[in-house]
Amino acid sequence: MEPDVSIETSSMIRVAVVPIGHVPPVLLRDYHSMLLRHQTIPLSAISSFYTEHQKSPFAHQPWDSGSLRFKFVLGGAPPSPWEDFQSNRKILAVIGICHCPSSPDLDSVIDQFETACRGYSASLVERCFAFCPGDSQLEDGSKKGGNLMLFPPADRATQEFHLQTMMQDIAASLLMKFEKWVLKAEPAGTIVKTPLDSQTTLNSEEVIKAKKRRLGRAQKTMGDYCLLAGSPVDANLHYTTALELARLTGDFFWYAGALEGSVCALLIDRMGQKDAAVEEEVRYRYSSVILHYRKSFIQEHAQRVSPLTFELEATLKLARFLCRRELAKEVVELLTNAADGAKSLIDASDRLVLYVEIARLYGTLGYQRKAAFFSRQVAQLYLQQDNRLAAISAMQVLAMTTKAYRVQSKASISEDSPGKKETGSSVAEGGKMLHQSVVSLFESQWSTLQMVVLREILLSAVRAGDPLAAWGAAARLLRSYYPLITPAGQNGLAIALSNSADRLPSGTRCADPALPFIRLYSFPLHSSQMDIVKRNHAREDWWAGAANTGPFIYTPFSKGEPSNSSKQELIWIVGEPVQILVELANPCGFDLMVDSIYLSVPSGNFDAFPVTVNLPPNSSKVVTLSGIPTSVGPVTIPGCTVHCFGVITEHLFKDVDNLLLGATQGLVLSDPFRCCGSARLKNISVPSISVVPPLPLLVSRVVGGDGAIILHEGEIRDIWISLANAGTVPVEQVHVSLSGKHQDSVLSIASETLKSALPLRPGAEVTIPVTLKAWRIVLADADAATGRSASVKHSKDGNSPTLLIHYAGPLPNAGDPSTNKSVVPPGRRLVVPLQICVLQGLSFVKARLLSMEIPAQVGENLPKPVHIDNSSTEGAVGTPNKMDRLVKIDPFRGSWGLRFLELELSNPTEVVFEISVSVQLEDSSHEHSLSVDRDATEYGCPKTRIDRDCSARVLIPLEHFKLPVLDDSFFVKDNQADGTVGSKSSSFSERNTKAELNASIKNLISRIKVRWQSGRNSSGELNIKDAVQVALQTSVMDILLPDPLTFCFRLSRTSPGTANIDLPEESNGQVASKGSVLAHEMTPMEVMVRNNTKELIKMSLSVACRDVAGENCVECAKATVLCSGVLCGITMEVPPLEEIKHSFSLYFLVPGEYSMTAAAMIEDANDILRARARTKSSDEPIFCRGPPYHVRVVGTA
Amino acid sequence: MATTACFIIVSRNDIPIYEAEVGSAAKREDAAQLHQFILHAALDIVQDLAWTTSAMYLKAVDRFNDLVVSAYVTADTHTRLMLLHDSRNDDGIKSFFQEVHELYIKTLLNPTYLPGSRITSSHFDTKVRALARKYL
Repeated sequence: MEPDVSIETSSMIRVAVVPIGHVPPVLLRDYHSMLLRHQTIPLSAISSFYTEHQKSPFAHQPWDSGSLRFKFVLGGAPPSPWEDFQSNRKILAVIGICHCPSSPDLDSVIDQFETACRGYSASLVERCFAFCPGDSQLEDGSKKGGNLMLFPPADRATQEFHLQTMMQDIAASLLMKFEKWVLKAEPAGTIVKTPLDSQTTLNSEEVIKAKKRRLGRAQKTMGDYCLLAGSPVDANLHYTTALELARLTGDFFWYAGALEGSVCALLIDRMGQKDAAVEEEVRYRYSSVILHYRKSFIQEHAQRVSPLTFELEATLKLARFLCRRELAKEVVELLTNAADGAKSLIDASDRLVLYVEIARLYGTLGYQRKAAFFSRQVAQLYLQQDNRLAAISAMQVLAMTTKAYRVQSKASISEDSPGKKETGSSVAEGGKMLHQSVVSLFESQWSTLQMVVLREILLSAVRAGDPLAAWGAAARLLRSYYPLITPAGQNGLAIALSNSADRLPSGTRCADPALPFIRLYSFPLHSSQMDIVKRNHAREDWWAGAANTGPFIYTPFSKGEPSNSSKQELIWIVGEPVQILVELANPCGFDLMVDSIYLSVPSGNFDAFPVTVNLPPNSSKVVTLSGIPTSVGPVTIPGCTVHCFGVITEHLFKDVDNLLLGATQGLVLSDPFRCCGSARLKNISVPSISVVPPLPLLVSRVVGGDGAIILHEGEIRDIWISLANAGTVPVEQVHVSLSGKHQDSVLSIASETLKSALPLRPGAEVTIPVTLKAWRIVLADADAATGRSASVKHSKDGNSPTLLIHYAGPLPNAGDPSTNKSVVPPGRRLVVPLQICVLQGLSFVKARLLSMEIPAQVGENLPKPVHIDNSSTEGAVGTPNKMDRLVKIDPFRGSWGLRFLELELSNPTEVVFEISVSVQLEDSSHEHSLSVDRDATEYGCPKTRIDRDCSARVLIPLEHFKLPVLDDSFFVKDNQADGTVGSKSSSFSERNTKAELNASIKNLISRIKVRWQSGRNSSGELNIKDAVQVALQTSVMDILLPDPLTFCFRLSRTSPGTANIDLPEESNGQVASKGSVLAHEMTPMEVMVRNNTKELIKMSLSVACRDVAGENCVECAKATVLCSGVLCGITMEVPPLEEIKHSFSLYFLVPGEYSMTAAAMIEDANDILRARARTKSSDEPIFCRGPPYHVRVVGTA
Repeated sequence: MATTACFIIVSRNDIPIYEAEVGSAAKREDAAQLHQFILHAALDIVQDLAWTTSAMYLKAVDRFNDLVVSAYVTADTHTRLMLLHDSRNDDGIKSFFQEVHELYIKTLLNPTYLPGSRITSSHFDTKVRALARKYL
């Protein structure tokens, strides 16, 4: 069988093109291609070379429209046994091609050419074309003449013209030879035989039969020559005769041959016009051709020779003729029949040709899978031949099938469709991929077939000695089908990969990646240490404007902006190393050694650092790949470059992403990362990265260690943060702000220090102090876990505040015209997390209000009410142990109104705390001159030490808070807040009162400070405000407000008896104080009533004296005290803020302890008084009672 | 029962979602591969043929050597049921296809089955093999 046959093949003159001498292959191909332009020589062009020697047998030659066709057979071909049957199989001309520079001796060229021509017995015309002759050769050659044609060196156009002339000459010569042959043939009755005819001697009957047939065969042959001579009408005439004769003699084989010729003549005559009628005619005649070839099958010759090849060729010719999409069904039928014939073919090479042709025809038809199937059959036939050339052929044929089986090498894909590749990448970059497009990626993935094909490619490549192809095939096989390959098979492939790599030069690149699978793990944005902030040129706080556009998450105005927030943008800085995390997976059963892996950056402005990774079987690993941007511009990172198994390959993230998508759709066998035990990752989109010029880089460090700052609750401490410029550009602008939780725990930042250090040159360092105050641990946490562990955890949760330091380098020179606003270099943000670890400190248990009721003794001096005891305390104000006075009570003064706030504190920690309470006294001089000495003083209490796991109580005296005056304005709020006087409050302004009360309480509380100290350098303040407030809430009125009336008793000196009183006291030297009273003496006394309000108070005063038992001992039946003066119902009016004295005398009959109390019934009380007294109804009398005073009566009974 | 029979379901994306060698002949790997290659190549013809008829059963669509490819195309998703066989039992093949189609629809109704993905149900496999024994 012959390849590439078609119906028109019968009309082609076969010309052998043989190289004479040494012709470089490139040049030979070049010369051959020049010849190929002259495959068709029009008859009109050769008329000048043609001379009619005798009358032409081609009577109907179409000189104006016809042409001669050539088929150039490079390298020639051995004579076919069938060339008598089909004259077009004869080599009718020989063209030698000689490259003169490599064969200087023209004589030897002529000799060689003649030798070469001797092999082609049927050849009618021989020419030897010698290209590029030297001058001497030109001279020499022109003498030689004959068949040697010299092509003088010239430009290509000239040479081609020259060649065309030569070809026309050859065509003319051939035409004349054909004429001669046809004229000679007719009378002689040339003997034509085919291998099909019996080779043995013929018996008589057969001889007669053969003679009869000879005429028909001669006619057929003449028809062939007519066709070759380009005269279809003449050919047809001969064929018609031949058909008639062959039919009569039953020469089916020749009948079929003649019929084939007639179809060819028909088509040549129609000059390629294909209408339905011609097509129908061709189809009809060819079915007859096929039928007759089949009929000519002779069983006895079947072993030796068979007309089957002709039948198949005829089938293929018809199929090629019909090969159109519309007639696919018919063509398929023909080709299927042809394929069926393959198993009857004796010669393996015939089968090869048949399959090749079938594959080509299916390919033309658009049936790629069918074509691939037959191509693979061809490859298998080649592989059966078991030699290197056949293996190369097999490999090449298989490479053609890869597209249909979807196992192409990436190199071929990118060559085939660069456009398609780009769309794919853009879709992948879009992040979301439509389901349909994912599916299309995995369309026709028929893994069984793909594996077989790849394995065959690998086998053929190994046999053909093409290590790169072998490597690529093994890589594709391993990467795509590892789940279907046994561990042993995987190992074998790994060995194949290394073996192939051994034969490759180092540094070879292959388009098909092998292992490992690489996906983007994360694209670390800038660490908080080197965050980049867009600089808003227009604003003073340049870091603010760029990011947020308002309080809304979504604004319709930002939608149209090109910088959509969905697409991450990343800025890298020239010279600052960056890192990208990728995950590698080795799902195979062998140790994978990745010699080097680094980011592949086609944009070229990035220096990637390679790393070596070793992946154990079935494992995945996250690897940090780093590099340094080298120049300004955009950076794209499509994947990684991997040097593994001795070959450098490009691994694209997009491919793996698609693979993983396919795995989720159930389209891919397995997810390589999942089978390595790695968790599913969210699809990470590659941000668009741009590189900007160098920026300053601040690096922070907490002086004294980077560990967490451990503080007890409420502790106040200074820390120092050192900032250094590690960049190459000075820092010119700095702003420090706070963020995060517990911002109030940062009391102060010395940002002025920082500002004053500007500009911070590269390498310069500045240290700024920051004052911290530890916050309180939330109660729930303290309960949940005791002590440290809880609080440490707590601080790690990000409870600590962070310092945000926005800084920027110099602005571009404003005067420089080349810089406009858009290229303001961005600023940066340094986030300094203050890792504060708050330990539980002292814990507050409860607060209680205690009141002390120790009556005062009546003495000579007036016991000073607390708020007016200036004179007595004056000396003590300055003394450090002022609090002692509170504790050690002056007996004459008593402490009736004294109230203590008792704080119970416990220490659950492991350190010792010392507590000191201080009360800051308000400057109240503006209110009253009496309290002038209290401004801005502090009462320091002695320190209380609380050991670990102990608790202690701290008392805070509250007496100093009493107001001097029961003031209307102040009282309003007090009254209002007190729920019990709701009915009375109608006359007062109800607004703001609650708040004002709270404010006053807060004011009070804020003056109480409980400080603690632990160890040498940790100290702080206990936050007990809330607890104190709760404790004080109910009785705040009593603490803050004075009674409307205060009563004091004293021994009167003005009376004449005073001396008497004093004398014995002093003379006796008794322990009894000077305020003691002697029994059986008249003791003059005074009661002083002070009005604390700003209004006149009318009242009726009464004084009572009681003994120890509490019995009234003045007016009862067994009175032990006699009195002179009025003690009851003393009506008096006390002007506002004034005192009134009332004198009386007592005579004590029995020594002992007595207590005096004064009480007053206020008449016509106003609302303030009523509110203070918390009366329920307006007509209820207000009774005001003073504290009891003790009188110690000495003497004998 | 046919000596050679290879049954394959090809999804609309040309991905085989089920494959079974159901012939009685001894199983050989290279033969099984050849069967799949033939079936794969026949997809080209099925693709054209499916639009020329309203019938789902396309009868024998292709052949290679002695092996015949019969095809059945579902109407809804253009899923192709293809059988490579060496028998000429047309009615049996038709019934086989119809029954398998029914099985396939039942599989599709399974909410956990993603259409177009591989059918891994062993129940399906057992049933198909039983049907092959019955009809082929």
